[in-house]
Amino acid sequence: MGSGNKKKEQMKKDNMLAGKTTRRDFMKNISIAAAAGSAGLVTGGCAGSATSEEAALKWEEYFKKNYRLMTPEEKDETVARLVRLAKLQDNRDIQMSDQEPHENVLFGYAFNISRCKGYMDCVEACVQENNLDRNSKTQYIRIFEMDPGKLDPTTGDGKFHHEVPVEGKFYMGVQCFHCENAPCIKACPTKATWMEPDGIVVVDYDWCIGCRYCLAACPYWGRRFNWGDPHVPHDEVNVDQHYLGNRMRMKGVMEKCTFCVQRTRKGKLPACANACPTGSRVFGNLLDPNSEIRFVLANKKVFRFKEELGTDPKFWYFMD
Amino acid sequence: MKKIILSSSLFSLVLGIMLLPGQCVWAGQGAAGHGAGSVLEMIKDAQHSLDPMRVESAHQLSMKTVDAQMPGPDGTFKVLARKDQITRYRCSVCHNDKPVQVQNGALYTHSDIVINHGKGENKLACVDCHDNKDRDSLVDKQGRKIDYDHSYQLCGQCHFRQKRDWVGGAHGKREAYWAGERVVNNCTSCHNPHSPAFKTKMPETYSLPLDE
Repeated sequence: MGSGNKKKEQMKKDNMLAGKTTRRDFMKNISIAAAAGSAGLVTGGCAGSATSEEAALKWEEYFKKNYRLMTPEEKDETVARLVRLAKLQDNRDIQMSDQEPHENVLFGYAFNISRCKGYMDCVEACVQENNLDRNSKTQYIRIFEMDPGKLDPTTGDGKFHHEVPVEGKFYMGVQCFHCENAPCIKACPTKATWMEPDGIVVVDYDWCIGCRYCLAACPYWGRRFNWGDPHVPHDEVNVDQHYLGNRMRMKGVMEKCTFCVQRTRKGKLPACANACPTGSRVFGNLLDPNSEIRFVLANKKVFRFKEELGTDPKFWYFMD
Repeated sequence: MKKIILSSSLFSLVLGIMLLPGQCVWAGQGAAGHGAGSVLEMIKDAQHSLDPMRVESAHQLSMKTVDAQMPGPDGTFKVLARKDQITRYRCSVCHNDKPVQVQNGALYTHSDIVINHGKGENKLACVDCHDNKDRDSLVDKQGRKIDYDHSYQLCGQCHFRQKRDWVGGAHGKREAYWAGERVVNNCTSCHNPHSPAFKTKMPETYSLPLDE
């Protein structure tokens, strides 16, 4: 019986090998026909060869899986398609990564409220790094000008534009806190947002349906919605991209701070922490007892915003 | 020539439909983060942490650094070098016995430097930090010579709280990388030693009003 099974398997293998090219060709023909058809619908006829390739890629992109269900090969394939699409659609040479998290890393962040001067270099660096929509002036970070004694940003001024720092005020930055017990993840009906093993809460922009439940669920205003097609001037696009990070978003999807996943998984500081001229932003591996972030947690007065909600953010405020 | 693999997409379409009701597989890890308790518990229970030196992409600093002359939390660490940044170092090129031309007097007397360091009337004088005898060096209050690259030892005499935080990582900042070798900014990377307080200025950008 065992040998019979083996024989059957071998036959199956042979058939597959023999039929491989013809079946693939067959599928390819269908795809090109379908692509040409859909391209024709979009452009109103006469699709050139470049547009048919574009349409075929778009077709494949449309039917891909949720990122978390993809095999490493499938991840590489979709990245390759997106890189090619950027070239075809916008004549842009981008480098996209699907770099996996490092093991034994849990990212954490600390913000020094007695050092921040409200210069907002972090906000500008974030906008540039993450290809944020310039039309709607989308920003992941908001800096609040606060009165002494208040620790709730809702009491502060989040739209100040005058010389800073102002005597007697302090400044408090708010962004996604990458909560361990994140309400936004629970609210998502399509599992388009989740926490990576290194603690970063990410969005699969292609799986997001734009319902904005996560935006409503987040108690920290950490999420942003693309009401229109995001616009970034051609020469300002950051071409160093990550699938789960700063790749170009589209109309109708959520986005948020990703601790600059495209930078931090390469060992770099997030753009905000790198840009801060006052050293108010501390970033590092929470599991490393020698890291700066652990020193802050062990030696400084720290607190978390809305601790009582039980969201367990990985973002602490501290003071000198 | 582009390779188009449609079979995989059709397969994934079918698979996607099949998997739609089966998403409970993810529920555990998705909703409750890492499923290992709170962040503080995870920190407490952590047995292993990534060796930061193993992140290969974090070893590309182009700036000149020196080894700090004191231990950090994890043995030695590096500090951005200062002497390269001082345009007119070495000081002894001018500060010697040779006469200087008078038409360059304004430049040679450091008339561009404004000292605003110290409280109220008790502003510091040049020789509070600079060595009067050896101009290529700083000097601390015990008369020890201090290299410009290691000025944190001088600043730390008065600003010892800031120095303690700087050594640990709560004051100042790392240069470019959280991983790799620990390289931190020197005191003088951020502070002008002659006028160390940060200036008031317009912010880099602004935010639109909250839509509430």
